[in-house]
Amino acid sequence: MLLPAGGWLVLFFLVPLYYVFLFSTGVRWQGVTKAAALINGELTSFSWDLWQQLLGPDVDLSVVGQTVSLPLWVVGLGQVGLLALALLGGRFGRGGRFVVPASVVLLALPYLAIPWGHGLHRIAGLTSPENPSISLFFRSVSMSLTVSIAAVLLAFPIAYYLAFCLGDSKYRWLVIVIAPFLTSYLLRVLAFRVILTDQGLVNTLLFDLGLRDRDNPVDWLLYSQFTVFVVLLYAWVPFVALPIFVALENQDRRLLEAATDLGASRLVAFAKVTLPLAAPGVVAAFLFIFIPTIGEFVTPQLVGGNEGYLFGTAIADDFGQNNDWQAGAVLALFLIGVVLALTAATSRFLRATGGET
Amino acid sequence: MSRATVAVSRRGRVALTAFFVAFLVVLYLPSVVLLIFSFNDNTIPVFPLQGFTTRWYANAWHDDALRAAFVRSLKVAGSTSVISTALGVLAAYALTRRRFRGSNAVTAFMLVPMVVPPIVVAVALLMLFRKGPVAVDLSLWTVIAGHVVISLPYAVLLLVPRIAGIDRRLEEAARDLGASGVTTFRRVILPLITPAILSSLLIALVVSIDEYAIASFLSANSETYPVYLFGQIRQAEHLPPMIPVATVMLALSFVVVVLAEVMRRRGDRRLGL
Repeated sequence: MLLPAGGWLVLFFLVPLYYVFLFSTGVRWQGVTKAAALINGELTSFSWDLWQQLLGPDVDLSVVGQTVSLPLWVVGLGQVGLLALALLGGRFGRGGRFVVPASVVLLALPYLAIPWGHGLHRIAGLTSPENPSISLFFRSVSMSLTVSIAAVLLAFPIAYYLAFCLGDSKYRWLVIVIAPFLTSYLLRVLAFRVILTDQGLVNTLLFDLGLRDRDNPVDWLLYSQFTVFVVLLYAWVPFVALPIFVALENQDRRLLEAATDLGASRLVAFAKVTLPLAAPGVVAAFLFIFIPTIGEFVTPQLVGGNEGYLFGTAIADDFGQNNDWQAGAVLALFLIGVVLALTAATSRFLRATGGET
Repeated sequence: MSRATVAVSRRGRVALTAFFVAFLVVLYLPSVVLLIFSFNDNTIPVFPLQGFTTRWYANAWHDDALRAAFVRSLKVAGSTSVISTALGVLAAYALTRRRFRGSNAVTAFMLVPMVVPPIVVAVALLMLFRKGPVAVDLSLWTVIAGHVVISLPYAVLLLVPRIAGIDRRLEEAARDLGASGVTTFRRVILPLITPAILSSLLIALVVSIDEYAIASFLSANSETYPVYLFGQIRQAEHLPPMIPVATVMLALSFVVVVLAEVMRRRGDRRLGL
């Protein structure tokens, strides 16, 4: 009985991925004949050349104005190490209290960004001057990370309100919160094109309030990284509220009562009881957005303009206007590798709240 | 002290309520803006509003390309929904009732397409169909192949807990009374999981009808509705006629989502969950 579903996935998921691999290593090519492929500059026999081009060049890590050039594999290994520490640090007993947050911060620091005005302002940064694809990848991770953190921060109070302040009506309100996530994504993005243009809702409001001159609208509201940030955030917040709500809802309320009976203030009870118990749900919520948005490409294409270009857009363009399947294949496999590795590493959080609604 | 006051002070409650209301307003604002602009008498969707018209609705209604794209989308979504739910029911039953070595790994494998970016599924299928051992012309069927891949995880996620929640003794009783395996499945399991099947059908429908990445790479000339919409809204002058379409579709999908949820809850109750 597993055969139909399994067969479908093998045929239309695994085998295609194998073809991506064949293209990325030059075993398959686009040209009708070998000669035609050679003229187009395609690889026509097995080689790791394209992979070397992607993974070979050094990466610049800049922290407070200082820049260090490092090979990509060193950076990658460093991040894998930090991720391992963040996931397993809890086993070090008391030391874990320090190790886990420290490695999480170190892991996130090169990607943390504030999207405002034209561009994404980063505190520290990872770029690769000779390698636009990897630079773009870092930028995508930056975007995903920023969106995920912002979404969790926004969704937490919502989930908290639903779980603790509402009575039996909470499930009805939960559906109202989540429903937009399940309606057409494309159409909601379309709405933002109307809201954020030079004469859109936001700018008109600024004009009317006298905060901005009519001839001088805020021009980075549409077609910028900021737009991509806002639209992604808007799209994902409702969905993120769900795992956090589940985590809060499943807590034993008596623990909280016990804490207050023993003299803890509400704030202390929140910090020492509610938050630690909700942590797995919060982490799951974070991962639920972070992982899928790394490959996001519809939003940047519709509202990102040139500034909002991201890694997923680059893949789409390699199979569209650039018509360079082999280059696109390398990027696609790299992306899926990162995504699957992240999913596997964090699956214990994902499973904790997975099929539970 | 009641439960609520332990978790939230009165002032905190007021603040949270305000935040929640503001959140809902912002969440639904884009849809409301679309609704307003769908009646706005202007060829570009900008403020200030120009006056009331229903011509965008009339235009959209008479847009043959749009209608054709929409019919294609319905075909794709309908087939995807039926195929992925059928595959999902069989797989979920096997995964819950015939536990075997590695069944956890198989479940994990079936859920993988959920985290894989759709763009990767799209380009991978494109390579297989165009340069694979058998040349396959791109058509609505190639889109369906991809859409089933990405909606199957939802079907499995919805169905596995429902089947696992059924009391095994019901099946045993059916078998003792002489029902064959197939009859037991048809007469005992299926009726009990009907609500889950319906929500799986609906979710797959929603996933497929709005899917852009796979449809854009695999539909060739037979554009589905999101692909057509995407092409139109990239140009500002084509934007207004699409807004009524968006409004109607948003309203419809909202209804579908709420219906699916209501049905799922009813199913939970039936199983006494």
